[in-house]
Amino acid sequence: MLEVEGLAKRYGDVLALRDLTVKVDQGECLVLLGRNGAGKTTALRCMAGVLLPSAGMVRVDGIDAADDPAGVRALVGLMPEVPGLYERMSARSYLDHFGAIYDLSPELRGRRIEDLLELFELSDAGDRWLGTYSKGMRQKVALIRATLHHPRLVLADEPTSALDPDSARRAWIYLKDLQKEGCALVICTHSMEEAEHLAGDIGIMSNGRALAVGNVVELRRRSGLKTRQEVRELPTLQDIYLAIVDNQRMDQRELAETRTA
Amino acid sequence: MVAKRDLRDAVSELRLIAAMVALTLAIPLASGTGVRALAAFGGGTAVVNRLSLVGAFFVVFIPASFSLVLALESFVGERERTTLEVLLSTPLREAEIYAGKVAAVLAVSLTLCYGGLLVYCFVTFPGLGYFPLAILLALALSTICQVAAMVAGAVIVSLNARTMRAANVMASFIILPMSVVLQVEAALILVGRAEFLWAFALMMAVVALILLRMGFNGFSREALLARDVGLRRPWRRANAALRASFNQRPGLFRLVWMRRVPLLIAAAGFPLGALAGYLAGLTNLIPANVVRPVLSTLVRSTGGGGAIDEALLIFSHNVLAFLLVAGLAVVSAGLSGFLLTFAPGFILGFAAALSSWAFALSGIVPNGFVEIPAAIIAGGLAIQIGAAAIHMDARGGWAARVLEAAADYVRALRWLVPALAVASVLEVFLG
Ligand SMILES: Nc1ncnc2c1ncn2[C@@H]1O[C@H](COP(=O)(O)OP(=O)(O)OP(=O)(O)O)[C@@H](O)[C@H]1O
Ligand SMILES: [Mg+2]
Repeated sequence: MLEVEGLAKRYGDVLALRDLTVKVDQGECLVLLGRNGAGKTTALRCMAGVLLPSAGMVRVDGIDAADDPAGVRALVGLMPEVPGLYERMSARSYLDHFGAIYDLSPELRGRRIEDLLELFELSDAGDRWLGTYSKGMRQKVALIRATLHHPRLVLADEPTSALDPDSARRAWIYLKDLQKEGCALVICTHSMEEAEHLAGDIGIMSNGRALAVGNVVELRRRSGLKTRQEVRELPTLQDIYLAIVDNQRMDQRELAETRTA
Repeated sequence: MVAKRDLRDAVSELRLIAAMVALTLAIPLASGTGVRALAAFGGGTAVVNRLSLVGAFFVVFIPASFSLVLALESFVGERERTTLEVLLSTPLREAEIYAGKVAAVLAVSLTLCYGGLLVYCFVTFPGLGYFPLAILLALALSTICQVAAMVAGAVIVSLNARTMRAANVMASFIILPMSVVLQVEAALILVGRAEFLWAFALMMAVVALILLRMGFNGFSREALLARDVGLRRPWRRANAALRASFNQRPGLFRLVWMRRVPLLIAAAGFPLGALAGYLAGLTNLIPANVVRPVLSTLVRSTGGGGAIDEALLIFSHNVLAFLLVAGLAVVSAGLSGFLLTFAPGFILGFAAALSSWAFALSGIVPNGFVEIPAAIIAGGLAIQIGAAAIHMDARGGWAARVLEAAADYVRALRWLVPALAVASVLEVFLG
């Protein structure tokens, strides 16, 4: 699905990517980890056909990004680091606008937009201007936008960095579902939890090249770390948080049911 | 699609729209009633008629200035609001994005222009007994072209600026030439001849096309997202760029060969000018008394002062002309380079038409043998400067190319200036 070979990208004097070689098959997920400035965002931009590689090759579904960047862009859904939403548009019309750009028929995109807004709990806010959205809400809209047109390859740059744990989990489930439908994923993140949830392969980047690529087992072996026995007696903060949030939602549903009754 | 969204964005800002519509309504209403009042209280018809035209010009111009702001905003605005990357990651082609942006701006400002003009016409002309349809149509057309030129220029600025503030500062590159253009237009309207306005519209259309093409060629995702910001040590960078443009440039003879196409164009300017001048002289298109003073310098009725003084005068005059031509080439797309050979040719042809070829040619012998090749080389290199100035490339490097062309010119001057000196001596002592 995605083949990257010897990819290099130079911005003026800065060599942001030196020599990146990765491969992602249909229905697989590659998670890119790495320090700030390692070149993750740059790699995604090159894979998305937005920036042309200075050297090396990017191929999506057999299409070379240097020959036909527009063809590559049509197959890809890029979720950039910053949501980049038009402030004076409602979420619905914003998504509809991009659905139209990707040539989705009006009924189809209307249905899909409603489904996804529902999934990310934005149905009620869907007609408010995006300028009034919170940071996490914006990120959800950006994720919906990037995946609206059923892209063959989803490239997401820190997709859940602003989401609350519950929404993040939901986003992961959503991404997993896309993967099951045959979509390939490349995710950049700083969250190890996210990486563990999503990853098939993990690529650890530094200074514009991949230090190591492989699944967790391979990476664990490579790192040479001994097995660690971890005993958890108390629930972690995250477990507690999720439990309380779930309880409260249950309460609300009960409340709503008693009202209707 | 890009245009549609941009339009909606512009329209969704209610206060802005209200202000724009109010201005486009208020100004035509005010100036229209002003003109009518003047007519009613016994202003002379000639004055009222002229004034009604100036009013129309005024009415059209105000909304046109909105287009500048909107166009400046088009790309830098998206960059500052971080929406640019999303737009660029869509499968839309470069042409679609560029055309969409330009179309959205044009639609808004032209609607306001024509709305204002219509309101103005309805307020002013009924019952005035004077309706200069031809001029109003010409005005409407030249407005489109003018707004298009302005928008194209502003979009170029918008593509190249990193911040809105930089774009606003750079906008003065558009406002200054535009104010000159507007004064010319106002003068043409006062003259009140529609055909001048048509010619003006044609000229603006050419400018608009050149600018639109420049903007489009300079437009690329790469340039918008990845071009190195490079604000560190601007002076050193400028200095290095200047030095680089002077280093490793070819010598005069190789240069002449490299630039043979613009040189041929410049060389063609001379006979073309002579022909045009000859025809103009025969048909009396230009009143002779306009050209006569120029002719007299060519035929040279020796005045007071020594021969040395005169040679110096001719020499400095020519050097000045050469320098001026190079400077103007950047803004005139190389036209000044062409004029460098065309204008003397024209004068020669004109003189020939009034007297005879033999007499006219005797005026430029023998100094012409040196002057004309020098003018051709200078003209050709100036055309090259102009061509570099209107050529934008997705890979950038505009400044480097213009600097290179200018450096070639400066280096060529090392040969051309002595040549001019020789020519002026020849002219004074042998001519
Ligand atoms: N437009 C640009 N112009 C010049 N240099 C750039 C540009 N964008 C990125 N860089 C440089 O390229 C390198 C890689 O940047 P990139 O944004 O890909 O890092 P990243 O891995 O995404 O970092 P982070 O984890 O902080 O998001 C950095 O050194 C950065 O300074
Ligand atoms: Mg990044």
